[in-house]
Amino acid sequence: MQVRKAVITAAAPNQNRIPTQQLVDCQGKDKSALQLILEEVLSCGVEEICLVIRPGDQRSFEQAAGDLVGSLQFVEQPEPVGYADAILRAKGFVAGEPFLHLVGDHLYLSASDLSCAMQLVNVASEFSCSVSAVQSTRENNLPYFGIVSGTRVARKEGVFEVQRVVEKPTPTRAEQELVTPGLRSGHYLGFFGMHVLTNDVIAALEQVVADQSVSKPTLSDALDVLRSRHKYMAYEVHGTRYNLGIPYGLLISQLAIALSGRDRDRILTELVDLLAQRNAVAVDGGRNT
Amino acid sequence: MSNRLIDIIRSEDDSLRHRSLESVVADADTQQLLEHCRQLDAYRRTEDNLYCRVRALFFLSSIHRYHLPDRLEQELADSTSRRCDGLIPFSGYEHLLSRRFGEAIDEFLQTQETSGPSDAISSSLAQAYHQLGFQTLADQVRKSVRTVRGNQWMFRLGHPIDHPLRLRRELLDGDQQHGVMPLLCETTAVRMDLSHSAWSDIFFLGMDYPEGARVLNISVDLGVRGRDDHPSPPIETYLRVIDEPVFRLASVDLAATADVTTIGEMFDFARDYLGLLKAAVIAAGIVPPGLEGCGRPISELLTQLVGPGKGLELVSKINDIPKGSRLAVSTNLLGSLISILMRATGQIESLTGGLTESERRLVAARAILGEWIGGSGGGWQDSGGVWPGIKLICGTDAAEGDPEYGVSRGRLMPVHEVFDRKRATEQTRQKLQDSLVLVHGGMAQNVGPILEMVTERYLLRSEAEWIARGEAMSILDEVVAAIESGDIRKIGQATTRNFKGPLQTIIPWATNRFTDRLIDACRDQYGDQFWGFVMLGGMSGGGMGFLFDPSIKAEASDWLQSKMIEVKTQLQTALPFAMDPVVYDFSINDHGTWAELRTGDDAIMPDRYYQLVLPGLLRTAPRDLSPNRRSELQSIARRCAEGQVATTASSKLLQSVLPHDESKQRSGGSLHELLHAIGFDAEQHEQIRADLKNGRIGLAQNRLSPSTTIRDVGPEHVTDVRQGCSAKDIQAGKRAIADGQVAVVTLAAGVGSRWTEGAGVCKALHPFNRFAGRHRSFLEVHLAKTRATTRSLGGRIPHVFTTSYLTDAPIRQHLQQNDDFGFESGVEVSTGKSVGLRMVPTVRDLHFLWEETASQVLDQQQQKVRESVRAALMNWAKATGEASDYTDNVPNQCLHPVGHWYEVPNLLRNGMLHQLLQDQPSLRYLLLHNIDTLGANVDPGLLGMHLRSGAELSFEVIPRRLEDRGGGLALVAGRPRLVEGLAMPDERVEFELSYYNSMTTWIDLDKLLQTFGLTREDLVNQTKVDAAVRKLAKRLPTYVTLKDVKKRWGHAQEDIYPVAQFEKLWGDMTALPEVECQFMVVPKRRGQQLKEQAQLDPWKRDGSADAINALCDWSD
Repeated sequence: MQVRKAVITAAAPNQNRIPTQQLVDCQGKDKSALQLILEEVLSCGVEEICLVIRPGDQRSFEQAAGDLVGSLQFVEQPEPVGYADAILRAKGFVAGEPFLHLVGDHLYLSASDLSCAMQLVNVASEFSCSVSAVQSTRENNLPYFGIVSGTRVARKEGVFEVQRVVEKPTPTRAEQELVTPGLRSGHYLGFFGMHVLTNDVIAALEQVVADQSVSKPTLSDALDVLRSRHKYMAYEVHGTRYNLGIPYGLLISQLAIALSGRDRDRILTELVDLLAQRNAVAVDGGRNT
Repeated sequence: MSNRLIDIIRSEDDSLRHRSLESVVADADTQQLLEHCRQLDAYRRTEDNLYCRVRALFFLSSIHRYHLPDRLEQELADSTSRRCDGLIPFSGYEHLLSRRFGEAIDEFLQTQETSGPSDAISSSLAQAYHQLGFQTLADQVRKSVRTVRGNQWMFRLGHPIDHPLRLRRELLDGDQQHGVMPLLCETTAVRMDLSHSAWSDIFFLGMDYPEGARVLNISVDLGVRGRDDHPSPPIETYLRVIDEPVFRLASVDLAATADVTTIGEMFDFARDYLGLLKAAVIAAGIVPPGLEGCGRPISELLTQLVGPGKGLELVSKINDIPKGSRLAVSTNLLGSLISILMRATGQIESLTGGLTESERRLVAARAILGEWIGGSGGGWQDSGGVWPGIKLICGTDAAEGDPEYGVSRGRLMPVHEVFDRKRATEQTRQKLQDSLVLVHGGMAQNVGPILEMVTERYLLRSEAEWIARGEAMSILDEVVAAIESGDIRKIGQATTRNFKGPLQTIIPWATNRFTDRLIDACRDQYGDQFWGFVMLGGMSGGGMGFLFDPSIKAEASDWLQSKMIEVKTQLQTALPFAMDPVVYDFSINDHGTWAELRTGDDAIMPDRYYQLVLPGLLRTAPRDLSPNRRSELQSIARRCAEGQVATTASSKLLQSVLPHDESKQRSGGSLHELLHAIGFDAEQHEQIRADLKNGRIGLAQNRLSPSTTIRDVGPEHVTDVRQGCSAKDIQAGKRAIADGQVAVVTLAAGVGSRWTEGAGVCKALHPFNRFAGRHRSFLEVHLAKTRATTRSLGGRIPHVFTTSYLTDAPIRQHLQQNDDFGFESGVEVSTGKSVGLRMVPTVRDLHFLWEETASQVLDQQQQKVRESVRAALMNWAKATGEASDYTDNVPNQCLHPVGHWYEVPNLLRNGMLHQLLQDQPSLRYLLLHNIDTLGANVDPGLLGMHLRSGAELSFEVIPRRLEDRGGGLALVAGRPRLVEGLAMPDERVEFELSYYNSMTTWIDLDKLLQTFGLTREDLVNQTKVDAAVRKLAKRLPTYVTLKDVKKRWGHAQEDIYPVAQFEKLWGDMTALPEVECQFMVVPKRRGQQLKEQAQLDPWKRDGSADAINALCDWSD
């Protein structure tokens, strides 16, 4: 299975400014968040990228994409009616092919030589099915993520066959339905914000979007339909994701990138200096500053 | 290792597994019993399976409680040599109090090894094994509750910032126009247990014997007949978001409201009357149990859960259904609260409407958790009101994947089989409603001891009770079949048979005189049209059901209402009633718990809520009210103006804010008039108050000086008559009886604070046990014994009951109504002349009682609740005023008898002794005993010994058992005397004393008068008698004691307060040097006292009841 296309969603309310934020990459170069995301996508051999955005945002995204703008296509989601609908807007773009999907407000840092996207695409190619990147997530973070449960695939480190998918479950439900053997207690497989999806997902998305009883259906709803019909895996990627959309999200992402790059020592020195200064302020009430 | 008892415990074969302990040990001798114990003890230490371990513990407890003492007594009687009575090591007792049961057992076994087996050690081992057994079971239930999937996360959460729940959006957005927040309302039914399948809903039982755990449970709506227009779901709960960062709790029935501002407060259950709401908030995971002790403000948690600056308000209403209805009101309220909170946080998918089966199970599991957290306990069927309609609830086997698998045979949670319209037709449901009259008899009793008894009996599989359990199970099948065939009459027959047969075979205390009389009255009144009786819940007297022919149901309901009140009025001085009986109207609830979301103008709380909060809101300056509160006030005003509030409700609203006329409610005035009328000594009272305040008297001051040497007596100080009296003494005694030289004085001035936990009924009149076909009181038993003596030996033995203000009228009335029970020798009532007024205790004494006196530590969660109660009571004492008069209760609960010492001088002061001597000049001796010493009778041998000794007072003492606390016979500075427990300089000392004081005393009348400085002739001289009594009284110590009294309020609600009172005690007569005393060691059964109702069951089982019956002559 070859993955040539990618869909990035950035249409959620208040999400449109996040990808345009400026950061410094591992090499010390100024880049927008969108550029970093696009680099991640392109690292795994994707050739065409579709951005799902809110009406009127295209210009700012084009600017943020810099010299990568050439590989982009834009699709608009007219009304904010949910995550599932946003992806479905790219149906024409994917045109029956498998595709990589990322959310537009996360950055990914790999802990291995392969990028996170590359790791995921490799697993999808091996199993020829949809695969979601997951990571072990503590139960206090359940209100933020879609959660899957599954059984481990023998002799394949970090790969699970998915049994249930639930969006932002309560811990009560998670404990009853979503425990995955082998994880620490109170930990679940939470979505990483990165998926390789086969064309099968389109039918599942259409089904949940058409379901009037669900308001703002999510990708998790569609994936729970998908897993009931097709083989669907989850893969614990070697890497970390950073959510730019939460308080201090941008700062923490920047620190994480900087500490894994060329300027690591410099940033550490700055941090220690900052700590020492602020500590002095805290101790003497700011008299010496 | 092969042992028949262990084989029974371990067997998978039912025919062996269900065999009783008795089947193996009935004929065993002491050595064989001890060998069984040794092997069982070794086995229980290594056995992994919890239930096997527990059964071994109960076998051990039972052998030590019921079998070994008999064999030891028999051996003692057969032997010619004297044997030392055993002592209980104090260190073992301390372990026991601190719940270190394993260590206590080791200590007691060590003593048994070195000093040989004894009654004392066996009583300690029985207690320790018993408690360890229950502790093991409670631990297992706790563990199961914690490990139920869906509950575990709540115990892991340690900081509010990590809180993983969020409130549903639907509750967060206020109404556009007025900003009124949406209101989530839940209504829930209560449950009625139609079958009463022999308490098989006890968790332990269901987990060990799932196939035997079944009940037929019906969800019902209720209305109080004559008060409510129609039945409705009695439980209503409300939840909404508020604009203050607090968790506001309110119970409209208890008129209590509180703003919880710290997480710690949510775990402080006894701080106010909102403990149940708090337990629900915790069990629903809103404030998960893991957060206990985190020390954070609740606003931090609410920020995560609801949003910054916001809070929640939770309100409960149970439509004034009285406590003790046996309809599981509190568990279903807990279920309703948990359900509404879980809906609001998305733990339950359905925000409104009914629940799915899995959601109901989740709520029920959390309700079990909530009951454990709140320190209460219920059965597994109790949350039945959450389910709809009629259902069969059954225990079920633990399967792989269940947390119980491999631990217990059954699961903690049962399965519910809801009957559809085919299985229980519409017609059948209607017929049941047309026939059954549900009532609350007015009694509110603690069923805890009953549930322990049931568990113990189940584990022992005693033959009669095991057969009865089987019968109850087949009766359940009959009831189910009758429901299916629509034959209501058959239900009545089956449930009546169940109540009269199996239930009372398992637990004789399931019934009482009140219930028996009501059933008889129904039968007499309606004959065949009375179809039957059904007991609801743990015991009868509270919630009960009577089935009638539908054609007379309405009439029978009215008749039953007045009949219950009539019988209650006759029995209320003898049995603890918390309220007047009521009849309910009921209907079957086919929804189960149900929720709706009200918005805008519909989002209003019940009227009673506004009556509760309005006064506080009006007292607050408008600028200090939150915007939501201000808009709520405006909304009340608007609704009143527009006539949307019913006239009665708006007038009540008005009443709530206007001042009340409190003069009618105040009982203080009448109390003081009463005190004046009954000769209360105000001067003495003020002296006692001053002494109490200054610390001259108090619990610590009751004790003898620590330098006092107190030792155990030796054989030379007592006369042991356990092997019988000499023929000569018996002969002399018989002669004295025949000559009319003896009278009996039964002390009946007390209200038995421990007996009814402070309910203030007359203990002497409590019909506590069935003898010769009906329930009989202590008073009747004593008369029957005296009657038996005179009938066999001739002579006339007058029987005097001494009373106090509290018991005089009820006893006189009771005797009169029953024509003195046909007693031929004359029954006299000696009216008490002394009464005290209780006081609010000093904080110093409360500290001493709770912190410096060794007392039983409770199970973990109950102990937490107890500590919270104690903190609240300390505050109460401080706020009310230490050593101030306790007047905030009915007069009978404010007064107290002043100790049994006064009861003897009262005979002198009130002319009773003079009258007795006039009527029967041959009278020379009195037998004095406590109302609860059932074995005391005019025994000719003991009387003969008293005659021969020439002593003024002969006290009967008994070898001490673990439960015999409160003093004993000791050598004090070389003189044998009785030392009260209160006076022991150190608790350890009591454990070094072999004998316990039974209080039964043979008195030489003339010598006693001499001690008072009086003669028979002086008895007519009131002034001289009074002076003599005062003079002697001064020489005796005054003890301060704290007693529990119940204060009743609301609808059968009860609060217990510790209050201070003073006493002088009869045993201190032995300390007077001029009084010649002798001490006779009598058999245990003769001196045993019944202090608590929990003692009744072992008392009956160990043959004591039969032994007492043998002393009595019931033919009047």
